[in-house]
Amino acid sequence: MSDPLTTDSLEIQKQLPLSDDGAGVLPTNTTPINGLVLEVKDLSVDYGWGEHAVRAVNAVSLDVHRSQVLGIAGESGSGKSTLVYGLTRLLRAPGVISGGDVKLNLGKDDQGNEITVDLLKASQRELRKIRWSQVSIVLQSALNALNPVLRISKEFEEILKTHRPDMSKSERRARAVELLAMVGLEEDRLARYPHELSGGQRQRIMIALALALDPQLVIMDEPTTALDVVTQREIINELSELRARFGFAMIFITHDLSLLVELADEIAVMYAGAIVERAPAGALYSAPRHPYTLGLLNSSPPLHGARVELEGIPGSPPDLAEMPTGCSFHQRCPYKLDKCVTDVPPLLPVDHTGRLVACWLHGGGVSVPEPLAQMVAFSATTKLHAPSAPASPNPKDVS
Amino acid sequence: MSQNETSTTQLEARHLTRHFSVRSSSGFFGPKRIVRAVDDVSLRLNAGRVTAVVGESGSGKSVLARMLARIVVPTSGDLVLQGTEVPVRSKRTLDYASQVQLVLQDPFASINPVHRVRHSLERPLLIHGARKSDVEALAAAALRRVSLEPPARFMDRYPHELSGGQLQRVSIARALCVKPKVLLADEPISMLDVSVRLGVLNLLRGLCDSEKLAILYITHDIASARYIADETIVMYAGQVVEQSNGTGLIDEPTHPYTQLLIASVPDPADPARATPEMADHTQVSIAQTGCRFSPRCPYVMDVCRTTEPPMFNVGDGHVSRCWLHSKSGEVVDVALPETQRGGTITKK
Repeated sequence: MSDPLTTDSLEIQKQLPLSDDGAGVLPTNTTPINGLVLEVKDLSVDYGWGEHAVRAVNAVSLDVHRSQVLGIAGESGSGKSTLVYGLTRLLRAPGVISGGDVKLNLGKDDQGNEITVDLLKASQRELRKIRWSQVSIVLQSALNALNPVLRISKEFEEILKTHRPDMSKSERRARAVELLAMVGLEEDRLARYPHELSGGQRQRIMIALALALDPQLVIMDEPTTALDVVTQREIINELSELRARFGFAMIFITHDLSLLVELADEIAVMYAGAIVERAPAGALYSAPRHPYTLGLLNSSPPLHGARVELEGIPGSPPDLAEMPTGCSFHQRCPYKLDKCVTDVPPLLPVDHTGRLVACWLHGGGVSVPEPLAQMVAFSATTKLHAPSAPASPNPKDVS
Repeated sequence: MSQNETSTTQLEARHLTRHFSVRSSSGFFGPKRIVRAVDDVSLRLNAGRVTAVVGESGSGKSVLARMLARIVVPTSGDLVLQGTEVPVRSKRTLDYASQVQLVLQDPFASINPVHRVRHSLERPLLIHGARKSDVEALAAAALRRVSLEPPARFMDRYPHELSGGQLQRVSIARALCVKPKVLLADEPISMLDVSVRLGVLNLLRGLCDSEKLAILYITHDIASARYIADETIVMYAGQVVEQSNGTGLIDEPTHPYTQLLIASVPDPADPARATPEMADHTQVSIAQTGCRFSPRCPYVMDVCRTTEPPMFNVGDGHVSRCWLHSKSGEVVDVALPETQRGGTITKK
């Protein structure tokens, strides 16, 4: 795999085919961004209104930098999908965004002024322009995401026609072939219907479609969960290559923490609608600090070493309508303190790596249990996908 | 890891084969094509042992489970239940169903959503001849066996009120309440959350040890197979390509496909390991002659393209369907019990 650090982002932009005919899209002639692409502050999402409202995402703050992969891990119902539907304004009723701030950086205009869009305040017209051209999303079930009565070529045709009105028919066709080649598919797939393709091929088509307009941010919502391991491996390898080549930022959602450790630069672990730990991938794996992260890591049986009985995490995630008091994890936590039952732990930095943890064990005054106090080993994992942008979180994020 | 004296074979499959004929993609009037979903698979499910079958989607592992449950009729091959040959081509009998039970992948799809848990547990009991006065107690006992306690808390719930892990336990309880000898679990944990998967795996392992159930555990997750299996089988394109006692084939894979499977598993402990360079499998089809894996195999030789490899012995109870082992190993017939295989060439 090539190292994204060695590739200058300006060069990346030059390699982009047809990247400069962005007519009809919001900013024309944008220069590449090296810094922040997406900034989310205290985003909260409810399902329902008034007293029946259930808080599915609770004051989540994130930032995603250019060519960085942010992994979001969590069980079903932890709010990870709701979070991205909220920040992309794709929520449907009864989902309501009840607070927060989402800023998307679109780069600099001709005068060198930064263009940022407040996604939560943007009009539907603005959103239509931003979606797909700046932010694209790949959903879990490609079979449901692709229109079953349209040939694959039509899907590419429609996107390019809408967002690149000055492209001719043959240019659109050429671009579609080029995109398919990027994900390792032959041209003849364009004439197929979704049902004629395998699950892996459909997911590759979804990835090719998501990259069709050179977006700055690609959101992957469990793209490989329905696939078997060999196909998953192929797609993950392709994604890493494409990211290194085009430098887009990626939010990768999955419940498979071990997959994220390989792929992501930084990982946010969500539990019951809130981030409980956020750290560089290698540090999170080698030295978890939150008991839930530790539990998740211990839930995957290893491929090497002695066969020992593992326990997983006892119990099941809380019902969001009847959230426990204090820390949402205290009912399943083996290291519960009295304070955990009454007070909600804030998400605070605990070490020099920029790690944030929401756990009273690290609040000082208590001796940290041994499994949660391991030294951070900077193994090859941390270096494998080094982000080209600094991954240090803004201290202001903690609020 | 020799087989215990006490371990008796509950269900045996001999040369099970299932072919489907499909129209090729050129449409309804196109020529018919035979898909060899399962081809000559022989295996034994022993009491108190978990046999894991690992393979990617389309490898035929689910069709195999359905043939063992006699939901799918095999094209050829035989089933032997507790020493008695089963008439595979006739309709499944109630007695067979009470001996061999199947647990499916998605509990939300396999349990009737409009009935309470009680209904799902009591119905099989009544069908299998339990007295009406006893069913309540038997259903409660089944829930206790899968650690859903107190049973009264779960009996009158609807499926949507339970979590995926709890519902999969209900579905295992439903299979267990007719007291089967063999449990076929088709990807029982792949739809569950990571944190509750181990609970279900530990439950299966415990049932196998304490009640001497013979369990077939089908999965695409080779790490989970390593966690609970007493015997491991790897399938590719309808064939068994590698088989070993314990987890021998995971610790020392000898077939290139098994090596690929293992290398594909995300392994944060060893991120620098090399993934074998293999042909992208969306681009290649399954070979119709010779070894079915040959179009994707990095070690492919001339013989692989022309002649289908037999099973070669590569170690204690460890066999591999690969020509690479033709020098070192003898050909074995896996349909024979291990003690009778000997070193002679018995393959037909």
